[in-house]
Amino acid sequence: MKSAKPAKEKPKNSVFSLIPRYKGFLVGLLGLAILSNALNLAIPKLVANGIDAFGKGTYDLIGFGLPFLGVMFGVLLAAYALAILQAFTAERVARDIRRDVADKISRQTFSYVQTTTPSKLLTNLTSDVDAVKTFVSMATVTLISSVFLILGACALLLSTNLKLGLAVVLIVPLIGGTFFVVFRRVGPLFKQAQEVVDRLNKTINESILGAALIRVLNAGKEEDVKFAEVNTQAKNVGISILRMFASMIPLITFLASAATLTILGFGGHLVIAGEMTVGQLAAFNSYVAILIFPIIMIGFMSSLIGRAAASYARIAEVLDAPAAAEGGEEIATLRGDIEMKDVSILVGEKAILKDVSFALSAGTRTAIIGPTAAGKTQLLYALTGLITPTKGVVLYDQRPVTVYDPQSLHSQLGLVFQDSIIFNLTLRENISFGQDISPEYFEKAMETAELSDFVHTLPDGLDTLVSERGTSLSGGQKQRLMLARALALNPKILLLDDFTARVDTNTEHRILANVRKNYPNLTLVSVTQKIASVEDYDRIILLMEGEVLAQGTHAELMSRSPEYVQIFESQRSTNRYEHQAD
Amino acid sequence: MNTKPTKPTSSLTGLRKLLPFLKVERGNLAWAALFILVTSTINLGAPFVFGYAVDNFIAKGDYPGVLVTVGVMLAAYLISLGTQYSQMWFMGGVGQRVLFRLRSLIFGKLQQLSIAFFNRQKAGDLISRINNDTDKLNQFFAETLVRFVGTIVIMAGTSIFLLSLNVKLGLAAMAPAVVLLAYTRLLSPWVKSRTAASLKAMGGLSGEVQESLDHFKVIVAFDRRDYFRKQFEIANETNYRAALRAGVANASYSPVYDFASSFAQLIVVVYGLFLISHGAMTIGLLLSFLLYINQFYGPLRQIAMLWQSFQTALAAWDRISEILEQDPGMGKTKAKAQASSAVLEFRGVSFRYSDSGDVLKDISFALERGKTYALVGPTGGGKTTTASLMARLYDPTEGAVLLGGRDLRSYSNEERTKKIGFILQEPFLFSGTVLDNIFYGNTEYAKASHEEKVNALKENRLDGLMARFSEGVDTPVQAGAETISLGQRQLIAFMRAVLRKPELLILDEATANIDTVTEQSLEEVLRQLPEETTRVIIAHRLNTIESADGIFFVNGGKIEGAGSLQQAVDMLMHGKRQS
Repeated sequence: MKSAKPAKEKPKNSVFSLIPRYKGFLVGLLGLAILSNALNLAIPKLVANGIDAFGKGTYDLIGFGLPFLGVMFGVLLAAYALAILQAFTAERVARDIRRDVADKISRQTFSYVQTTTPSKLLTNLTSDVDAVKTFVSMATVTLISSVFLILGACALLLSTNLKLGLAVVLIVPLIGGTFFVVFRRVGPLFKQAQEVVDRLNKTINESILGAALIRVLNAGKEEDVKFAEVNTQAKNVGISILRMFASMIPLITFLASAATLTILGFGGHLVIAGEMTVGQLAAFNSYVAILIFPIIMIGFMSSLIGRAAASYARIAEVLDAPAAAEGGEEIATLRGDIEMKDVSILVGEKAILKDVSFALSAGTRTAIIGPTAAGKTQLLYALTGLITPTKGVVLYDQRPVTVYDPQSLHSQLGLVFQDSIIFNLTLRENISFGQDISPEYFEKAMETAELSDFVHTLPDGLDTLVSERGTSLSGGQKQRLMLARALALNPKILLLDDFTARVDTNTEHRILANVRKNYPNLTLVSVTQKIASVEDYDRIILLMEGEVLAQGTHAELMSRSPEYVQIFESQRSTNRYEHQAD
Repeated sequence: MNTKPTKPTSSLTGLRKLLPFLKVERGNLAWAALFILVTSTINLGAPFVFGYAVDNFIAKGDYPGVLVTVGVMLAAYLISLGTQYSQMWFMGGVGQRVLFRLRSLIFGKLQQLSIAFFNRQKAGDLISRINNDTDKLNQFFAETLVRFVGTIVIMAGTSIFLLSLNVKLGLAAMAPAVVLLAYTRLLSPWVKSRTAASLKAMGGLSGEVQESLDHFKVIVAFDRRDYFRKQFEIANETNYRAALRAGVANASYSPVYDFASSFAQLIVVVYGLFLISHGAMTIGLLLSFLLYINQFYGPLRQIAMLWQSFQTALAAWDRISEILEQDPGMGKTKAKAQASSAVLEFRGVSFRYSDSGDVLKDISFALERGKTYALVGPTGGGKTTTASLMARLYDPTEGAVLLGGRDLRSYSNEERTKKIGFILQEPFLFSGTVLDNIFYGNTEYAKASHEEKVNALKENRLDGLMARFSEGVDTPVQAGAETISLGQRQLIAFMRAVLRKPELLILDEATANIDTVTEQSLEEVLRQLPEETTRVIIAHRLNTIESADGIFFVNGGKIEGAGSLQQAVDMLMHGKRQS
């Protein structure tokens, strides 16, 4: 297990830390619980009174029935109010925690979400929250009222007969000890259980996202085997937890029964010795019933509390994680100069980028070329702040990226990802992506990405809903949609990650010409494989294994860099076709 | 779900649906029932023995008698310690195993469903169904059912006592329970529909989270963190409302059950005193009656709680059933072989996705064995759709795809996938290592050792490509993570397909993000495939299709053969774009 930590490491925030936040609710819950319990306790009293009155011959139906009915309806109302308030509290807690967690995640870095994994965060937001909400709404009230009942019953026992009282009350620490021992052992199990849920989520998730591949390879069986393994783990953890509770609950019942035996054996002795009356003995027995009931309730709540504690510890990990560094505050209109100074990115021991330096002036066009896994995408990510460099700085207009307000910076920086990322929204929402984009910019972006014609063929036009793994768009269309999304910002700088890979040559040429025409002052950085389309660029940077091998114009590189020439040669045979488009 | 929602099941039919899962557990359930019976008997009997000892030993000063009773009761309690443990162990075990089977069943079903099903679903909602909803069933099976059986036993025992003490009073005392039953039946559909709405909202919330987290880099790069917050807030609020409504609905059981219990006491006292005044009963009997009435209604209160859990379980079950009842849609049909020399042939194929017009219209063409074909055309022209039909990711709306002269639909999945290799446009990797992913789904190497797999790479001259991975074959892969680049993912997909040695290999922009130098070595690998391998290549980069024996131009629902690469380029450059 990746996230397994030593058991002794206690989370800073225990689930009990939530209690002060919901003081108001809990006071209300407790009040209603006490009210309904007190009224409930009045019922036996009323019954006894009625029977006594019957014995004395003073019984009348109205005098007995009316108060009884009154109390009954009182209990009904109090209990109903309690149940509703409980539901309300539970859902409030769930909503609040979910909001806090989502808010925290939304302020995190990209790499945090990647390393924590979306599956774990999903479990945090769903089943972990569910465990905690029941704790607050149900377990706390039960716990507190149980403790009161136990204390009250103890007081009654001790005041009736000190010796027998002491003997019986001795049971309470024994039960407490049992709880303690079991909880110490069950806590890590609950944590494991939630971790297994993460793994279940992950396996299901992968099998859904990889559904096409699984069908192409007929690997359903393999997936079943994988799932069976995690599923078995889930079952085994479940059974381990079950074993703990199957031992604990009977043990506690047994200890409670031991109290009855003490009353019978020791109390019987006291009665026979004349130190107690039979009536007191009977009273003792009913007090023990009052003592035992809350203990059993605590027993039932214990599994809930254990689960909630484990879940909250996991949630607290997310809430306590340091947030992404806040950006600067400067809001400036960029000219479009970009510079990287000695930028290195390390993942573990391995360097993805090594001392990368270059300076690009505003309005120029630059291509980044290099073999697969050379670090080209990472370089773009570092430029946009998706990755923070381990060493070195990224400068815009000669000032470090960190001085700019992130929102203002990102609104001038268009990034087109290599893989298509489409949200389950309409085409319009996907392109304007939740922001206010002026219609003029929107139109310009659509035209530049050559999407207008395509959109006109759709019955619902821009309001067509496109889905996560939608079939309605082809690879190239998705790619153009991504470009439109970036261009709709009317950016000063456009970063393209292998944009041309999925678009046919003809469209590619037209789109790039559109970009030049419609966004004349744009600083363009384009990661690409095709030299032909970037030969006339102001600069070409050759990246290999994270290092800048050479940079310069096409002509310079042709005369200086043998590696560049090799790449050029590998493409030359088809260059004559590509050039026909010009 | 896009399908019609299944009619919500009533409690009884719902229970019947769950029964098959319990059938295999008959033996364990019988044992559990036995232990429950013993535990309950001891629990019911103990107060009797206690009272007997007070009356007969303590009152008479017979201490040895008291000690004997203590001994007997201790023995009984020890037995109950064992039986209570066993009943929990057996019932809990049943719950865990039922849950295990249920999850396997749903997951297995997911593997059978067609790709079209997944295109309609949000991953988060599916995960929610498999996990959250089965967990609701789990709570029912593991926690509720144990107590359910115990309470029923105690209630049944008590009602026998009540009726044997006094039939009239017994019936009167139990009358509120009958009213409760009617009340519960009346309310259940309402409670369940609200619970179902709540589960649906939860699924929606999961879907939202899943989408946002999977696409987190866009959210960061466009600085739309507020968008994520806003979208989540909407889903969270919807879920809150639905859950609250479900909570309020569920709250309508317990208080009414308490009320019924009190009402029963009122009946017993009033009717009992009436009977006494007519000499039909004694005060002592009335007192025991009051005790037993609590024994009867106490468990009933628990049943109210259990009923809630049962309703939730049923609502969850409905959502799960929607998946289980999905028609896989891609069945195997019988077909006679038709004379055809082609390895693959389209005969009058038309195709449309459920939500659009025809993507392909009445297409016919044939591919010959051992040749290389290229599909070219503008984006959105239908190339990927054509390839998907070849690999039977979809079935044609009209016409047929023939593989070796036989309808593709008549092949078993195993046969078909063995003959056809398809490198998808969007390569997907599973968590594991690079090597795991290369040999994923490869039955031939299912039992091969790490070393044998590495050797297989060497034999197929793929080992050179390993230099592209930071830790070679053992480079760790996390699904969806950025540690493996798109180009690297394409390399893995390429190696995976080649190692399976298919008769027909389809490459859908399989090398689009791979640098041209590496690509040349891939072409070398392709050339070394057995002579009879037919290749279908979709690519934008013209060098990848240069050496094709035949070129098809795909656009506007039509597929036309192009005589030469030059002609194809002309079509691309000057042809009318209809996409």
